[in-house]
Amino acid sequence: MEKENLFLNEVKTSAIPYGISGMPQSNELNCSFFNPSWENSVDQSDPFESALSSMVSSPTASNANGNGSNGENVVLRELIGRLGSICNSGEISPQQPYSINGNNSANTSCYSTPLNSPPKLNLSMMENQQIRGNLQIPGSHFPSLPSLAPFSSDPGFAERAARFSVLLNKNLVGLNEMAPKLDSGKISRVSSNQSIKISGSHPMAVQESKDGGLQEAGISASDKKFSRLSRSSTPENVEFGDSRENSSVSEQIPENSESSAKRSKSEDGSANEKDAAKTKADNTNQKQSKDNSKPPEPPKDYIHVRARRGQATDAHSLAERVRREKISERMKVLQDLVPGCNKVTGKAVMLDEIINYVQSLQRQVEFLSMKLATVNPRMDFNMEALMSKDMFQSRGSLPHNMYPSDSYPFQSQPNLHTAIPSASEAPFPANNFNSALGRNQPCNCLQWTILAKLPLKSQRSGRTISIVSFRWDSARIRHKIFMGFSPQLK
Amino acid sequence: MYVTNTTPADSFNFETTGSGSGLGLGFGHLEQIYSSKLLQALRQVRASSASSGAQTSAPKRVRDAAYRILAATAKGRSRWSRAILTNRLKLKFMKKNNIVKRERKLMTVITTGNSRMQKKSKVSVLRLKSKGLPAVQRKARVLSRLIPGCRKHPLPVVLEEATDYIAALEMQVRAMSALAELLSASGSSSSGAGQLSSSRMPPS
Repeated sequence: MEKENLFLNEVKTSAIPYGISGMPQSNELNCSFFNPSWENSVDQSDPFESALSSMVSSPTASNANGNGSNGENVVLRELIGRLGSICNSGEISPQQPYSINGNNSANTSCYSTPLNSPPKLNLSMMENQQIRGNLQIPGSHFPSLPSLAPFSSDPGFAERAARFSVLLNKNLVGLNEMAPKLDSGKISRVSSNQSIKISGSHPMAVQESKDGGLQEAGISASDKKFSRLSRSSTPENVEFGDSRENSSVSEQIPENSESSAKRSKSEDGSANEKDAAKTKADNTNQKQSKDNSKPPEPPKDYIHVRARRGQATDAHSLAERVRREKISERMKVLQDLVPGCNKVTGKAVMLDEIINYVQSLQRQVEFLSMKLATVNPRMDFNMEALMSKDMFQSRGSLPHNMYPSDSYPFQSQPNLHTAIPSASEAPFPANNFNSALGRNQPCNCLQWTILAKLPLKSQRSGRTISIVSFRWDSARIRHKIFMGFSPQLK
Repeated sequence: MYVTNTTPADSFNFETTGSGSGLGLGFGHLEQIYSSKLLQALRQVRASSASSGAQTSAPKRVRDAAYRILAATAKGRSRWSRAILTNRLKLKFMKKNNIVKRERKLMTVITTGNSRMQKKSKVSVLRLKSKGLPAVQRKARVLSRLIPGCRKHPLPVVLEEATDYIAALEMQVRAMSALAELLSASGSSSSGAGQLSSSRMPPS
């Protein structure tokens, strides 16, 4: 249905600034919206509410355009039915339908139906007709700020807005038992304050278009209005306000506690809104300003934080919350790094573990450095072998510089054989070493160390020493050694 | 340089893999780079110790070199690595600072009569009890002193540095232990072979 698609498209566009990406198709969107766990779907509900608010806010075009196709009705029915399903509408006082009836008999049926009997989609045709017009706007809603003037002139808009706002509030509040009170109160007030709202909506709209970013201020202002309008309790207001808040750290929120159902729908509001009876106008204006402010949001360099439901909306508390979240996510990363910290909860214990671990690691490093320092003297001639071995193991590639050094033993042996035929035992150690260390093919240089150590064994005959010295004195060998060593001496 | 495949575009962040094995691809080349550099440094340390009478003991020099190389491998992307690298420059030119610090420590020990000040392991949580009373803040101070270059930074920064630092330390411990084992193994095998050869060599 085109209307359904329109609605979803509008929701998509409104959802984008909220970072809700990937709401591709209608089915998914509906499913995500109408998640019974509405707490999680606050973000999801935002675009929904915005969409609804946009629908509510622009009745003029809808009225002007007349009635849409029947698809709208179906969509509307679906939406409202789902809204009702979301609400735990068991708490709705029986007074509501009466008050609604008192205000607008024609519209009460649709209102009460979803609330009282969520699964039923018994929208009257009249409701459909009234809502249909709103649905026609979605595509054209965003640029339609100037259309607010004619919008305000719609007499029936107040009731429609009230109805939608109540529905949306239901969506937001969900399990809140005070919703019925609020709704009933609001509905009565809304209906009574139609004229005031309409008059005030125009300047508000203008203001809101200017104040794109003053969301919280607008929220607080509208909260005040709503508190005046309705007898809603404070915690409820807080919930509404917070759930719909899109706050930035830099902004001050004068009043957090008060919020109205309608205001909760929209996040934005102008700071200058001080009119008492601008419920629906507030919603619409706020939603529009919110829509308008969505594009300018990203370029700001504030840290945009979404306050969750039931949380304070101070700039200070927001900043603290941001900081706390930063700390907690880093602690989680550390938890993975530090072994044995999976069960640990709490910053203090976690910090203890981290401190212990860092200290133990540093102690290990010290111990290993001591070990390396003692092992170091033996490294002189092992270096090449070890380096090559290390390279082999780690990278499987032998540095070219190593080749000459590797060939040393092989070349030196013939030298030994030829140069010192008498020292027949000289090759033996080399041979033995070679055979013993044959497995360490790249480590044949080890025999250099072995031979170098031979002189240390003073009980050895001078022949060994001479052998070693002979080897060392051999210019050719020395040259090869230097060739091998020079790259390392960089 | 032996190391031919240094990857300058390494994301320094040591904890990319976060795996305990440490020989995953994310760690592997960093560890190789580190171990090769460490080998060179060890050679230099040996040479320097042979040439000049060192003030600091060999283990201390090895340790300093190890940390410096770790910081170099980190390419200065984290605060602690930069602090380590700059610290060495400072210490080189202002060696007397160490003496001054030691004297101060001594004085505090004498005046307070606290033996725990003598501990080389820097700070204990108790010592800070007089200061920030909240436990978390105390421990944050301790942690920030443990990690070089993070003394005056707030907790989130310290935690971030801690993650990098812990990963780097783990890599360092692995590389150094592997190196030590390699060297000691070669040394032991060489000594063993030497024994063998000496036993086989007929006394002349």
